[in-house]
Amino acid sequence: MNALITGIGWVTVKDMGCGRDHNSFAMEAGQLPEILRKSIFDTPYQRFRKMDRYSRLGLAAVAFALKDAGLDEWTEKRNIGIIACSVYGCLGTDIDYFDTVIPEGGLSASPSLFSYTLPNCFLGEAAVSFGLTGASFVINEKPLSGLVSIRMALEAIVCGESGKMLCGICDLGCPPQLGGIDNEVPGALFFMIEEASKKNLRPYGRIGMMNGGDTIQFDGIQIESLEMLAQECLRNYVTVHGLQLSVHS
Amino acid sequence: MVSPPTPNPKTGVQKQVWITDIAAVTSLGSNFEELWQGLLSARTGIKPFSRFSTDSYGSDVAACITGLSPHDGQSMIHGLLDLLFTERVSVPSDALLITATTKAGIDNLERLRRGTGGDPQDILPFGIRDNVSRRLGLKGKGFNISAACASSTIAVAQAAALISQGREKVVVVCCLDLITEFVFSGFSSLKILSPHPCRPFDRERNGLSLGEGAVLLVLMDKDEACRNRRAHLGTVLGWGIANDAGHIISPARDGRGLEQAIRQAIEKAGLQEDQISAINAHGTGTTYNDLMELRAFRKVFGKKNIPVYSVKGSIGHTMGAAGGIEVALGIKTLLEQTAPPTVGFVRPEKGAEGLVSPYPVAISGDYLLTTNSGFGGINAAIILEKGGGM
Repeated sequence: MNALITGIGWVTVKDMGCGRDHNSFAMEAGQLPEILRKSIFDTPYQRFRKMDRYSRLGLAAVAFALKDAGLDEWTEKRNIGIIACSVYGCLGTDIDYFDTVIPEGGLSASPSLFSYTLPNCFLGEAAVSFGLTGASFVINEKPLSGLVSIRMALEAIVCGESGKMLCGICDLGCPPQLGGIDNEVPGALFFMIEEASKKNLRPYGRIGMMNGGDTIQFDGIQIESLEMLAQECLRNYVTVHGLQLSVHS
Repeated sequence: MVSPPTPNPKTGVQKQVWITDIAAVTSLGSNFEELWQGLLSARTGIKPFSRFSTDSYGSDVAACITGLSPHDGQSMIHGLLDLLFTERVSVPSDALLITATTKAGIDNLERLRRGTGGDPQDILPFGIRDNVSRRLGLKGKGFNISAACASSTIAVAQAAALISQGREKVVVVCCLDLITEFVFSGFSSLKILSPHPCRPFDRERNGLSLGEGAVLLVLMDKDEACRNRRAHLGTVLGWGIANDAGHIISPARDGRGLEQAIRQAIEKAGLQEDQISAINAHGTGTTYNDLMELRAFRKVFGKKNIPVYSVKGSIGHTMGAAGGIEVALGIKTLLEQTAPPTVGFVRPEKGAEGLVSPYPVAISGDYLLTTNSGFGGINAAIILEKGGGM
């Protein structure tokens, strides 16, 4: 069972964008850059202003992955699914929302904030923005590896549920108000996985499951994390295109 | 030498997925049989409650579980698990655990923000995962699926997918959610709480009623279940998941996302539409959800009047637990060949005539469709096949 990686998109402490525009990738601790509407969309997008930080983060990485795969433009809805792994999900938004409940015994509870208190809401935003009608859900896992999202995406492709799946991680880390929880590296990283790729787009390589699904391999290399997968994708791409390689490992 | 499983060329399914064990706790009772009997008697657990003040909200009713309260500063979710595990369930230690919850221990966050205690480590779903793993003696850790009110439907679908492809032999799916001021105030702020017990598919419905509950389902590869002489309560035959790609809060008016999920599920099950003998609808009692579902059902099933029911007038909308509880009840519906009544339903919404009933309805057939939809535009559908008995 295997498929092609055709697009990568990310937002990390270091930078954000599409895989083909970069020759290195790393996830590091620190402060994420501010995500502006202009970072993702060329034209005004009314909904963007309403979104919480977590949704903006996930939507940006999904948008970059789609763009990298040449799938960002659309006229008809497509059966593309999204599976995202996260530890903290929208916990920061949960805090912001409940802080609107406390002052007046609930009278001032914010419906617009409550709308973003489910970790899968950013998947809905991505679905609306890019016409994605496939399966979309969040997997909460700790520690965060994200590999389960790859497994499930591959299963969905092999079962014929969808020929194209986005999968990856989206996490803001521990909200500062809850300092009691250990910190994770914040950021979002998504891969576009396809059964077959467009003729004019060279994929990063082939990804598959071995040993009954216990092992994930990318072009023959066993993958231990999504960060490693992104690095291997770029290494492959850069090698073929003869560009300068600068992958953090 | 064991031959690799041969996939059904029509459905891609390699292995049969049996449901072998069910445990449940809801406002209608502390075990699954009490829930079923309560449903058949058209009882409702939705009533005024005192867990927190509802003075500022659009409703003062919900389907709370009696006696559930925080203890030792822990989330009430652990009390809910105490109630769920009064029924003994045994599973192999290498079973995979998938939990499904929308807000897990969010009551801890409430207390932390009010400055009245609360454990920051126990807000997220990992405390539930560890608690259930410990109780069942599982070696692995597992993960949680979060997809709003379709969380547990998708958890069951993913569990079935893993077993059907031969990746897992046994998957435990544990689905649960609580009524907290966090969620109650939120639904109230969106103005979708009914001031009275909800009335799914009724012409005068005006919103949903929240409920809480938990269910544990054990899904097994058929061969493994037979080897271990487990009960065959039912089979998960097909599943489908689709996004409306329309709005993150409101369902698609044309029901297109749900229609896509249902068609996918029927195709995976290898069935024809006319083989479905009953439908467990999401049936929240909100204006748009119920209309959307009726449209989707008519698009898929045409003019055929398949019995449709919603249990939310009895146990409320149990959010992330709803799909799992409704899978369990779908299994029972098939075994008993009786669709439970839709409590609160009196005068049918246009399009619900001949489909929904306030009384138990005898059914005849082996296949049931159960569906759920939620925020984020998500829709999920599962096809169940009648089992051999409880």
